[in-house]
Order: sequence, then C-alpha cells, then structure tokens
Amino acid sequence: MSDFPRRLPDGSYVEEPFRPFSAANITRACVAILLLGFLALCIRLAQVDPEALVNGLPRLLNWAAKAWPPLLIDLDAFALRGLETVAIATVGTVVATLLAFPLSVFIARNVTPSPALSLPVRWAVNAFRGIDTVVFALLFVAAVGLGPFAGVLGMIVHSMGVIAKLNAEAIETLPSAPLEAAALSGANRTKIVTYAMLPAVLPNLASVSLYVWEANVRTSTILGIVGAGGIGIEIKAAIDLLDFPKLFTLSVIVLIMVTAIDQFSAWLRRRLV
Amino acid sequence: MHSLLIETVTKRYGTTLALDDVSFVVDPGEFVALLGPSGAGKSTLFRCVTRLVAPDAGVVRVLGRDMSALGGQELRLARRDVGLIFQQFNLIGRLSAMDNVLAGRMGHASTLRVMLRQFTRVDRQLALAALDRVGLLERAGQRADSLSGGQQQRVAIARVLAQQARLLLADEPVSSLDPQSAENVLGILRNIARETGIAVVCALHQVDLARRYADRVVALRGGRKLLDVSVNAFDQNAFRELYGAHPG
Repeated sequence: MSDFPRRLPDGSYVEEPFRPFSAANITRACVAILLLGFLALCIRLAQVDPEALVNGLPRLLNWAAKAWPPLLIDLDAFALRGLETVAIATVGTVVATLLAFPLSVFIARNVTPSPALSLPVRWAVNAFRGIDTVVFALLFVAAVGLGPFAGVLGMIVHSMGVIAKLNAEAIETLPSAPLEAAALSGANRTKIVTYAMLPAVLPNLASVSLYVWEANVRTSTILGIVGAGGIGIEIKAAIDLLDFPKLFTLSVIVLIMVTAIDQFSAWLRRRLV
Repeated sequence: MHSLLIETVTKRYGTTLALDDVSFVVDPGEFVALLGPSGAGKSTLFRCVTRLVAPDAGVVRVLGRDMSALGGQELRLARRDVGLIFQQFNLIGRLSAMDNVLAGRMGHASTLRVMLRQFTRVDRQLALAALDRVGLLERAGQRADSLSGGQQQRVAIARVLAQQARLLLADEPVSSLDPQSAENVLGILRNIARETGIAVVCALHQVDLARRYADRVVALRGGRKLLDVSVNAFDQNAFRELYGAHPG
C-alpha cells in the first residue's frame, strides 16, 4: 500500500506527486508509440495516396453529372432483382439460424455438453465466420452453377458461423444461478437448455438473427458481381458499360431496400426485448 | 428554515395513488427513518423531492426552495444540495474510489475540467477529506468495483459529502449489506447528521435499525402517512399498525 494520500497535521491532504517517468507512464508511452508506428506502417501498405484522390475527384464528379437523369425504364426488372436480393438474404439467414442453434449450444462454455469436443467445433465455426459470404458464393457458383441459389448456399455457410458465435456469446452472459437451480431439480441437459436457458436468451438470439439478416441484405447486393444472383448483376453490368443513369437508379433502389429492411428489423428487435 | 418540507403532496400513476396527501418536515441535523412496506410510496417520495417526477398536488421545498417552481439551471443548482444514496451504491466500477468521490463535484466544476478529469486542488482536498471522513482515505486509489459492499456504500456517502449536499436521501442504503457493514454505514450517516447539520432521510426495512439510529420515524402505508413520531414513541402497537404483524 502506498503512503499516499496522507493527512497532514494542518488538516490538508497530500496526494502522490505526478511522476512523468514512472514505470507505468513509460509503458503507456511505449504502447502509444508502437500503436502509432503500426498505423503508419498500415498507411504505407494500403498505399494511401491523397494526391490520387484529388486527381480522381473531377472524374467522379463528371460521372455524377452524367448520371442525371436516372434511367426510368426496366424498373420492374430491377425491382424483381431487388426482391431476389432480399430473398437470398432471407432464406440464407433462416437456414443459417436453424443450423447455428445446436452449434451455439455446443460451443457456449456454460452449457456445452463436451468441453473437449467444443474446441474443434469452435474452430470450425470460426472458419465459417472468417471466410466471407462472397468467397463461399464463388465456390458454390462453381459447384451448382450461376444464380441466386449459389448465393443462398454461400450465405448459409458464413452466416451459420456468425450466428453460432454471437448466440454462444449471448448464452455465455446468462447468469449461472438459474441454470444451477434448474440442474438441482434433477433435470438433464436437454431439459435445462430448453426450459431454463431458452426463455432467458430467446430475445437475444432473435436479435442476433435479425442483425445478421440486415447485414445479409447488404451483402447480397454485391453477390451478383460474382454471379450469385440478386441486384448486383445489374450493378456490375452498369459499371462495366459505364452506364451511370442505370447505376444511379440501381443505387437508389438498394438504398431504399436496405433502409426499409433496417428499419423493419430494428422495429422487430425493439418489440422482442 | 426546514431542510425539507413536504406539504400535502399527492402523486398518482394511472389509477394507483402512489402518494396521498403526505406532509412532514425534516430539520437540519435530523436523522429521519422512512418506514413502510414495499410499494408504500417511499421511492415516489424521493423522486418527488429530486423532481425526477412532479407531484400532482402539494409542495416540496428543499432548503426553502419550491422544487416544482424551478427548471433548467436553477433546478440543477437546487439538486446539488440534495445527495442520494442508493441500495446498489451506483458507483462507476472502473473508476477509483477517489474519482467516484470527485464525481460529487461535477455539479460544481466546469464541463471542461470534468471531461479532462482535472479537478481543482480545492475539489481534490474536499474529496480526500470526504474519503477520510468515511474512513477510506487509504483506499483512494483503489478501483471501486474491487471494494467490499460496505466500503462501496461509504464511498457513495463520501461522494454526497464532496457534493456538499445539505439534505441526504438514502433509499434502503443497507439492504444489500451484511449486518456489521449496515451498522457501520448507518453510524456514519447519523454522525454526519449530528456533526454537520446535514438532514438525513433514510428509507429502511429494518425496524430495529431505525429504532437505534433514527431521531424520528415517518411511516408510509399505501401512499398515506401513517405515523410521524419520535423514535421513542415507535412501539409495538405502531409496528403492528404499520406492518400488520408482530415484530420478529
């Protein structure tokens, strides 16, 4: 225990004097310098070049000017592509949610049936989560052919990893006492999980899936670029042909769609919790 | 001037009458125990005093100021004079005991100083004296969440002392403490009232603690004031009337 703070005979107090070169402060300074050095290295590796941005800006503005008026034919075809985008995300998220639930129970530290087996399962979940939907979608395009189904399959694999991980974290934050009380009634693991754990964690699980659904709607707008369905196909075609009025229309459709889904999902989540 | 004056205060939530025509006063240096079963209106009363809710009828005066007539800056200044002690302490766990006590100076210090956590020497001296007053000077640098429950409640008391509050409202301050810590905390509150003239209103569930530490007992039941008596007059009959059963 340090000698500070201390009461002086006159009734005032002295605190520990400020020592700029104390071990703790030197450590802090070293960490700060290391972090700044790392950031500087990253800026170099990312080839950050403000001059290129300045030179490129007029070109961007020129394109923006050309985008007006937006393309207003084929709107029904674009809308259909938009719906396809939402459909990919919805099917992908629903199936991923169903597959992820048993995985999340398996890897949550407080309810896992087998701590030893949960480790390799956790690695698998991290692999699904670590590789992006677009990469999986490329694989599935090669396996099942072009089209939205390849996107759905890619989305299922990646989202399953994300949802399992987030679900497991939600389960792990549960207070242990109610689960212990349930166990002391003589219930087996399945009974405890379904009767004591699920009611407590269900709003969180639903919230996780809704978040992932929102993110998946955004992701599926670019799946078309790798041939896996949705409005991205049209976006890629518009960019390849430098068709800016069409790109403008498509961007507005994406924006409306994503905003509507985000609002709807946020509204659902508020009602759940 | 009374430290706290409650006059015919009524507060209704929907169809339930949370406070029904309640009146009493608390004078400087008095330790008043507020008794009553759960749902009797104790918390609502505190919320009316701090103007977190406005009473439907009646007047609340803190040090002579009508709280419902105040707003904005005036209300903030009036609230500085009222210190709150909570059942769950409500400290900021990751900050040190000293930084938590300095939080009591937030109403006095400039926004910039608070943001940079650079309090004046005067503020720091006040905070250290407050920590010393509750016997935790040597714990000043320790993280609040590493302190025991009793110590955390004493830090919370030091916080309202640093705030230089002149009326303390304690909402079941010892309900989550062990008996020894409870005695300690109530003893500190009583001594503060006696020695500094701060008025203390303390909601309690433990009647024996009220008998031993309070000067006066105000009892609420179903939103109505049932009793306002000196602690010596709070006998078996009064207890039965309040809780509808024998003590112990």
